[in-house]
Amino acid sequence: MLMKRMIKVVSRRVLFTLLLIVICFALQTSVLRLSFFGNVSPNLMLVLTVSLALMRGEIPGLLTGFFCGLCVDVFYGDMIGFYAMILMYIGFLCARFHKMFFPENMMMPLSMIFVTDLIYGLVCFVFLFALRARWNLPHYLFRVMLPEALYTLMVSVLLYPLVLRLNGWLEDLEQKGARKFV
Amino acid sequence: MMQTELPVKGEERFKIPGKYLLFLLTLLCAGLMILTFRSSFLSGVFRTVGSFLVTPFQNGLNQVAVWISDQADRLDDIERLQEENRLLQEQVQSLTTDITNLQQDRYELEQLRTLYALDAQYEQYNKTGARIIAKDAGNWFHSFIINKGSQDGIMVDMNVISGAGLVGRVVECGTNWSRVQAVISDNTSISGMVLSTADNLIVDGDLELYEQGLIRFSKLVDNAGKVKMGEKIVTSNVSDKYLPGILIGYITEISDDANNLTKSGTLTPVVDFEHLETVLVILERKQSGGDE
Repeated sequence: MLMKRMIKVVSRRVLFTLLLIVICFALQTSVLRLSFFGNVSPNLMLVLTVSLALMRGEIPGLLTGFFCGLCVDVFYGDMIGFYAMILMYIGFLCARFHKMFFPENMMMPLSMIFVTDLIYGLVCFVFLFALRARWNLPHYLFRVMLPEALYTLMVSVLLYPLVLRLNGWLEDLEQKGARKFV
Repeated sequence: MMQTELPVKGEERFKIPGKYLLFLLTLLCAGLMILTFRSSFLSGVFRTVGSFLVTPFQNGLNQVAVWISDQADRLDDIERLQEENRLLQEQVQSLTTDITNLQQDRYELEQLRTLYALDAQYEQYNKTGARIIAKDAGNWFHSFIINKGSQDGIMVDMNVISGAGLVGRVVECGTNWSRVQAVISDNTSISGMVLSTADNLIVDGDLELYEQGLIRFSKLVDNAGKVKMGEKIVTSNVSDKYLPGILIGYITEISDDANNLTKSGTLTPVVDFEHLETVLVILERKQSGGDE
């Protein structure tokens, strides 16, 4: 019985997360690319990965990162697995702060999103550009990484509370189910 | 007893330490990267599955965005249109006389064109229009998704143009979508030539230069020193992916390389990539005579 209920809970979480990923991915690639921000798009996949890793811990965090990255890989990458790996490690590392996470504290998740987006940009620069002998780091920093990180931060001010609330609602639902079971 | 024991077992079995899962998935990623680095067999499978999930969302959201901006524009439009209408009425007068003159000029131009056989080559190709429905997810390369795919007769390596000149080529193709890589993307290079002297050169996309609206060219052999600023650069006859004679842009800067044999510089693309909404796909592929 408990096993059955756990499967139900896990599958509901998985479905919810997948739906969230697909919607965010579609948003990121269509409407959110704004010209006044230097024509960059915010990294919603990263926001999802970091916030879910903080809220739910290690395994959900790294799996979310993996599937978010896979989405980007499948549509835009030259080889599949590159972005999946980066986002997976980001999810895994952010989950280290799962124990320090309180729903009331907004500053920590937001600053983590900003910092990890810069790291994400740096990794992209090293593997996709520096290895092809394009060295001009300051240029890429000011034209791509920083605008992306700032824009992502702005969007996550809206997106993060939404994910938090959805997650809370989901947990309430699960608790209700548990009470009924007992 | 049995009933109390089983769930505990089940719960224990369920917990895999995150480290092991991370290690396994890292191996999987590395494997996939190696498999898909050169061959596109596996990525094709992934892409077909993915497109059925995401393309409808992208299409829908795009329509919503267009609708919203339409509504916002409408209010501004009314005032502007009244003022414009007055100005346009005045223009109509002067234009009517201009048209008569131009019609005569055009007749003359057409005669001259047939005379010199300068009829632009790409007017004869079969083309289909397509709408851009999504841009690149990252900010490092320039590629975009259009709303037509193999069911509309589009194949990989077909050239994409907009009214003014070359936009890029199709690099991936699903049933109802395809991905176009732009010529300004950092990972493209095209074999081009100078229209007036037929000297070959290589055009490379460059993210750094694109901020200034330029792309780089190099390896231009021009011993006679005839190539100057403002010359037209078109796709060359020897390119194996691009049809010959499609306009790419105009030379804005040219300088000698250190080896004194070749020249390099920058050119301004004719297409405005920032405001691209619809493109034309040429439904013909270059016959390169290779193993295809």
